Amino acid sequence: MRRVVGSNYATSHAVMRARVEVIAAYPITPQTQMVEHIAKFINDGIMDCEYINVESEHSAISAVIASQAAGVRSFTSTASQGLALMHELLFSAGGLRLPIVMGVVNRSVGSTGGIWVEYNDSMPQRDCGWLQMYVETNQEVHDMILQAYKIAEDKRVLLPIMICSDGFILSHTVEPVELAEQEEVDEFLPKYEARHSYLDPKDPIASGIVTPREYRQEFAYQIHRAMLEAKDVIGEVNRDFADKFGRDHSGLIETEFVEDAEVILLTLGTVTSTARGVVRELRKKGKKAGLVKVRAFRPYPAERIAEVCKDARAVGVYDRSVSFGVGGPHYLEVRNALFDSDVPVIDFIGGLGGRDVAEADVRSMYDVLLEAAKSGKAKRNIEWVNTRGVVLG
Amino acid sequence: MRLKLKDLPEENIFSSGHTACAGCGAAMAIRNIAKVLGKEIIIYVPASCLSVFNGLFPSCAWTVPYHHTVFENTGAAISGLSRAMKRKGLDNVTVVGIAGDGGTADIGLQALSGAAERNEDVIYICYDNEAYMNTGVQRSGATPHGASTTTTPVGKLTKGKQDFKKDIPLIMMAHSVPYVATASVSFPLDLINKVKKAKETKGFRYLQVYAPCVPGWGYEQSKTVELGKLAVECGMWFLLECENGRLKINREPKMNNLETYLKMQGRFRHMDEKQIAELQESIERKWEFYKGYAELTQRLYGGSEASV
Amino acid sequence: MKEIIFHGRGGQGAVLAAQALASAAVFEDKYAMAFPHFGAERRGAPVAAFARIAEGRILTKAHIYEPDYVIVLDPWLAGLVDVAKGMEGHEGTSGGVPMGSVKTDICQGLNREGAAVLNTARRPDEVRLSLEVCVGTVDATTIALETLGHPATNSCMLGAFAKTTEEVSIGSIEKGIMDVFGERLGEGIAERNVKAAKLGFERTEVGMCSGGREFPAQKKWLPDVDELPPGCVIRSQDTEYGKLGPGSTVQNETGSWRTFHPIVDDEKCTYCMLCWFHCPDGCIGRVPDKESVSVDYFYCKGCGICSEVCPVDAITMVREVEG
Repeated sequence: MRRVVGSNYATSHAVMRARVEVIAAYPITPQTQMVEHIAKFINDGIMDCEYINVESEHSAISAVIASQAAGVRSFTSTASQGLALMHELLFSAGGLRLPIVMGVVNRSVGSTGGIWVEYNDSMPQRDCGWLQMYVETNQEVHDMILQAYKIAEDKRVLLPIMICSDGFILSHTVEPVELAEQEEVDEFLPKYEARHSYLDPKDPIASGIVTPREYRQEFAYQIHRAMLEAKDVIGEVNRDFADKFGRDHSGLIETEFVEDAEVILLTLGTVTSTARGVVRELRKKGKKAGLVKVRAFRPYPAERIAEVCKDARAVGVYDRSVSFGVGGPHYLEVRNALFDSDVPVIDFIGGLGGRDVAEADVRSMYDVLLEAAKSGKAKRNIEWVNTRGVVLG
Repeated sequence: MRLKLKDLPEENIFSSGHTACAGCGAAMAIRNIAKVLGKEIIIYVPASCLSVFNGLFPSCAWTVPYHHTVFENTGAAISGLSRAMKRKGLDNVTVVGIAGDGGTADIGLQALSGAAERNEDVIYICYDNEAYMNTGVQRSGATPHGASTTTTPVGKLTKGKQDFKKDIPLIMMAHSVPYVATASVSFPLDLINKVKKAKETKGFRYLQVYAPCVPGWGYEQSKTVELGKLAVECGMWFLLECENGRLKINREPKMNNLETYLKMQGRFRHMDEKQIAELQESIERKWEFYKGYAELTQRLYGGSEASV
Repeated sequence: MKEIIFHGRGGQGAVLAAQALASAAVFEDKYAMAFPHFGAERRGAPVAAFARIAEGRILTKAHIYEPDYVIVLDPWLAGLVDVAKGMEGHEGTSGGVPMGSVKTDICQGLNREGAAVLNTARRPDEVRLSLEVCVGTVDATTIALETLGHPATNSCMLGAFAKTTEEVSIGSIEKGIMDVFGERLGEGIAERNVKAAKLGFERTEVGMCSGGREFPAQKKWLPDVDELPPGCVIRSQDTEYGKLGPGSTVQNETGSWRTFHPIVDDEKCTYCMLCWFHCPDGCIGRVPDKESVSVDYFYCKGCGICSEVCPVDAITMVREVEG
């Protein structure tokens, strides 16, 4: 069924179709509509699930960790401060290998920030043992919630996953979304069978017991290995989904015009859409510009990035958050991926606190990249885009 | 039918070989509570002494399913477990959270309050040893007035905790949940029958059990039970039961022997007459309050005796 | 540099002793460090603490594997209590961290030129360990009970260490105790500990022990990455390393923690079951045929609550003796 909806609705619909059994969530702008939609679905009798109206995000994640540990498919969602409040428990979800799906509606955290999009909520969570995928459209949010369960529950992975979407730009923008029907989802996503963690007095297990140093390092290694395996699983699930639903989101990364590109910009999230327009415009002018939409941030597709960028003469990275005194966290990943390449890599930090990233901003990024491609070196590695008093390039 | 000691099974739900200190009041409480609750339970334990003495990976004293994550989320975690049991059709399974007083009165109070307000179908048990014992005796909200802890030391300026014990059972009564009770390891029949009643009740059930701590309180390890009795006698701990809003006092304190109780414990040994008088006054006020509260709720919610 | 391992039980003050020893060495213008085995153990559980003494700055932050000296605060830990009362026939290993470990080879890694300082009522030539080494022996439990009223043998054993090794003087040990114990426990308690240390120094006998005693190797479940169940989830299972998962603490010999043990008089017992209820460790068994109770000494930590709650004085506490 095709409807014009925001990403919070698209997410809620997908959660309903995934036959999630326990949801615990707490309202926070710009995620609030998600808890409202789900409450309405349940109250209208079209969704059958336990819904816990918890008193904080800390309790939301605690409750779904417990329900998922008990062997039941679970969901939560949050944004910003709420994700920061969950931080402590994110390690437990990863450590206990629980395939929880969380919808993160990105929003800046902390002082000098408001309610608008920035990735300084999700980026600091990258080392908690969660998969992280960033999306571009409301359709993609919907589709990735369904894929997320299949990825997370795969026995090679068994890790929780965040589907990160830009606050307001997706959550409060309505666009046409093909909303999945129950029968087709049931065919794509089987019922969750808990194999490693379930709580039942008939077969007692101890889950999460305090672990001495004799074991912790091996557990950590297992998570590291599962994260690497997840790269294949993300691709496989994407192909399954494309076969079933006819929509191909191309797995770890998606590319445009990279084959012969001299300059390539790597983006996350909705800026990708704006960049798609700019790169097409540049191509019409004969500029050899390319674009990579990075969809998976954990695991980070370093090998794919290196492969795609191997012939480029300048590579740009878009960052919607900062690791202060260093650069953007995405930039650090790309530098790591291109460690044995001489190509100039330039970080473009912009769009913080929900500042608009317009076509002109993206054009200025490509201008800097084209200049670097010509000269063979970057003037500066860390560029701040559309920042008053800071000159770009 | 009231339970008698002989009705409890010989078999342990909480196994021997756990690593609690010799004379541990919490271990005494927990192993007996578990016997009353039986095998059809799921246990959640937050960070606490119990989360250590119930065994470290891959060892575990619990013979029933066990879950642990962090310190302050017991109310939320047992909510998630209870809802999951409902989805799995395991309606016969009782979800039980067992937390210490720090995990209940302080860092876990928010999650506890949330779960109580939603009337989650769970049992929450607080074993109250009146300080953070797991980390080596720091004051908690449940530490009584005057007690010396490592964060309320006896020093030149002040001696022991200056504030008074936070009354969590009363806070829980204010949540209008079906069952709130206090108990003590020193009153076996009262304790096991309250656990039985909690098990037979639906909705949110709260039980706070007085559990003396040998190293934390500084007393001879064989005196755990005697201290618990003295506490109830002198009014440092009341045995109460609030069912659907109606409060009942299970044992009338004699309100004497406070000094005997205090002098048996290293944590109170420094207390002078003035401090003891302050403490005495506070417990007398509390007792008057509970007497009046019991009478009032009997009148409002109906019922027979105000005390037994 | 001299490296020292303290073997003790939670509550005996191994960590405090290691710190006091470091302080004593610093009073002699040496450099020293002390650190615990970074555990979360309760009272009674086996613990270790470490100390290093050197002329100049010590760089390593690693554990000690080849000590010059070992100090054993508890006779059970060195395997000096051969068969604990009632513990025959129990399997004494744990899947995870060794808990009971009644027979630990405390000479593991010990420098043959070094020494073992033992809390035992035996003379050095009556002690048999895996190595023939210099030992200092003292009945520290008795001294601690006399001077402190409870079996915290740490200070007494520091006196024994000074006598056995001559690495630090008893005067410096006294200063170290006043410094470290005084800060933590107050001056009065520190002074009583100084007295225990002096008595320990005076009563320690030094000589050679006999060697060649075999200790069973510690069996410990340490699976490779592929065998470890993902997600810190463990089921109840029996392995060659013992039990794992739910209910597996039953193999912990917590009985080795005690100093006193209860004796039940069946004639006096009225089968009221108060001891059965109040035992924190589930050591009391009901014996309906005899209308009496039994004690499982494998678990009994010797708290004495059973004896206290017995309304007819049918249970008495008796000091544990070396077998």
